[in-house]
Amino acid sequence: MSIGNEKLSSNGMPSWLKGLGFLAPALVVIAFFVGFGLFQAAQGSVSREEGDAFWVNYQALLAHESFLRSVGISVWVAFSSTFISLVIGIWMTRRLIRVFRFDHWKFVAWLPMIIPHFVAGYLIYIIFAPSGWLSAVFYHIGWIDVMNQFPILVNDPLYIGVILTYVWKEIPFVLLMMLPVYQEMDLRYEDVSRTLGGNSFTVFRTVEFPWVFPVSLETFLILFVFVLGAFEVPALLGVTFPKMLPILAYEWFYQSAWVNRPMAQAMMVLISLFAILTAFFVLRFTARWKSQWASRRGESL
Amino acid sequence: MWQRYVSRWFWIIVLFTIFVAPLVLMVLRSISFRWGWPDVYPMMFSWRAWEIIFRDPEIIWSMILTVLIAGAVVMLNFLLAVPAAYGVSRYRFKGKPLVEAILMMPILIPVLAIAMGMHLTMIRIGLTDSATGVILIHLMPTLPYAVRVMKAGFDRLSPDWEEQCTTLGVNRWRLFWTMLVPQIIPSIRSMAVLVFVISLSQYVLTLIIGGAKVMTLPMIYYPYFSSGDQAVVAGFSVLFALLPIVFLVVFEGVIRLYMFTIQRP
Repeated sequence: MSIGNEKLSSNGMPSWLKGLGFLAPALVVIAFFVGFGLFQAAQGSVSREEGDAFWVNYQALLAHESFLRSVGISVWVAFSSTFISLVIGIWMTRRLIRVFRFDHWKFVAWLPMIIPHFVAGYLIYIIFAPSGWLSAVFYHIGWIDVMNQFPILVNDPLYIGVILTYVWKEIPFVLLMMLPVYQEMDLRYEDVSRTLGGNSFTVFRTVEFPWVFPVSLETFLILFVFVLGAFEVPALLGVTFPKMLPILAYEWFYQSAWVNRPMAQAMMVLISLFAILTAFFVLRFTARWKSQWASRRGESL
Repeated sequence: MWQRYVSRWFWIIVLFTIFVAPLVLMVLRSISFRWGWPDVYPMMFSWRAWEIIFRDPEIIWSMILTVLIAGAVVMLNFLLAVPAAYGVSRYRFKGKPLVEAILMMPILIPVLAIAMGMHLTMIRIGLTDSATGVILIHLMPTLPYAVRVMKAGFDRLSPDWEEQCTTLGVNRWRLFWTMLVPQIIPSIRSMAVLVFVISLSQYVLTLIIGGAKVMTLPMIYYPYFSSGDQAVVAGFSVLFALLPIVFLVVFEGVIRLYMFTIQRP
C-alpha cells in the first residue's frame, strides 16, 4: 500500500530513500545483532586447529549420540505441539466466528497471551503432575488409590507436559492469526456450498481452505521454529535425557567442559540455517498460492 | 434458535475451562494453606505466601528492576518500531522484501544462537552483567512483533489524513503527535503489552547477558520452582500475570493524560 506517497515526499528526497530512512534504526539494530551474532557463532563453530578440517566440529556433532536424540525429541515436540494447536485453533476459530455475533470472546481466548511461557508450564504442572489437581480428582472418583498410579505427564521422557504447555500458549496465537482471515473471507460461498449439498467438511475444503491454507503454513513455520529454539519451558518440564536442543546447547556452552563449546555453536548455526531455508521456501510458496487464488477470484493484488 | 443458544453456552464453558480455570486454580493455590494431595479444593486460606513475597526486599527490588527493564524495552520498541512500521507500510522501494525479511529474522533464528554468538563481543564492549545489555538483547525477541503489530495499524489508516494535514500546512512533527499517534493508539497499546510480556518472560537471555548479576524475577523464579514453598511459587506465578495487567492500567492512564493534553486548545 503506497497510495499517494509521491505527494507525501514533496521535499525533494526520493521516496525510497525516505522509506529506508524510517526503517534504518530498527534495521541497524536487528542486522547488527543477528548478523554479528550469527557470524560470531559460525566463527566459533569452525575449527582453527592446525591439521583439522574446518568442519570437524560439525562432523563430531552429527555423530554425537545425545545430539541425535535431542534432534528427535525436539522435532517431536515442535511438530506435535504446533500441529495440535493449529488444528484446535482453526477449528475453534471457524466455530466461534459462527456462534458469536461479536468477538467479545476473544478477550477470554487471549488471556494466555499475557501469561509468560514458564508460568503456563507451571499451570500444566499443577494440573497434570502426579501430585496435581487432576490426580486428586481421579482419587476422588476412585480411579487411583495412590499418587504413583497417576500417569507421569510432566518431566516425562516423551515431553507431554511441554507439548501441553505449548498447545495452551499457542492456540490463542493461532486464533489471532486466523481471525482476520475469517473476517475478510466471503462466507456467502458457504451458502452456495450448502445449497449444493455440501456438508461441514466440504464447506471447509472448498470455501475456507484456499484462504486458511497459506496462513496456516506461515503460522506453522513461526511456531515450529519457535519451539525448536525455545529454552524456557523444557528447562522447567523437561528431563535430563533426552534433552531438547536449546537445553543441550546451553549446557555444552556454559556448564560442561569448554571443549564442547564449538559443537554448541555448530548446533545453533545448523538450527538457524534450517529455519532460514525453510522460511524461504514456505514464504515463496504461500506468496504464489495467495496471488494464484486472488487472480482466480478475479481480484487484483 | 435454541440450538444457537446451547452452542453459545457450550463455547462459553469450553473457553472458560481451558483458558480461565487454570488461572483460578493458580490464584487459589497462592492463597491456600496446607492444600495437599488429594484435596480437590483448599480447606483453609491465608495470605502467608503473599506476605513472604512482599516482605522480601530481594524480591521487591527484583520486581522493580524487572518492570524498569521491561518499560525501557517498551520505550525502545516504540522509538524503533513505529518509524520502521511507517516506512514499511507507506513506502515502496527496491529491496523492500529483503528489508522486511531482515526485520523478521529474530522470529526465525533462535535468540539463543544470537545471544551465544554475541556474548564474547558484549563482554568486550562491557555490555554484560548490566541492565543496558539485557535491555538491548531483549530487543531481539520483541522488535519483529512490534513492527508487525504497528504495520497492521498503519495499513488500516488511510494516507489521506496525512495528505490533508500537509495541505493545511501542519508540520511533520506536529502531524505525528496530534494526528497519527491518537489514530494508532489501539496498535500502540497491543504492541506495548505484547512487548512487556515478552520481556517479562525472558529467562535464558537475561541469564546469559546479565550473568546472574541482573536479577529479574525469572532469575528468582527458576531456582524457586523446584525447591521452594508451593504456595510461594503459586504467588510468584500470579505476580507474573498481574504485572502486565498493572502495566496496562498505568498505560491507559498515560494515554488518557496524553489525549487530554493534546486536545486542550
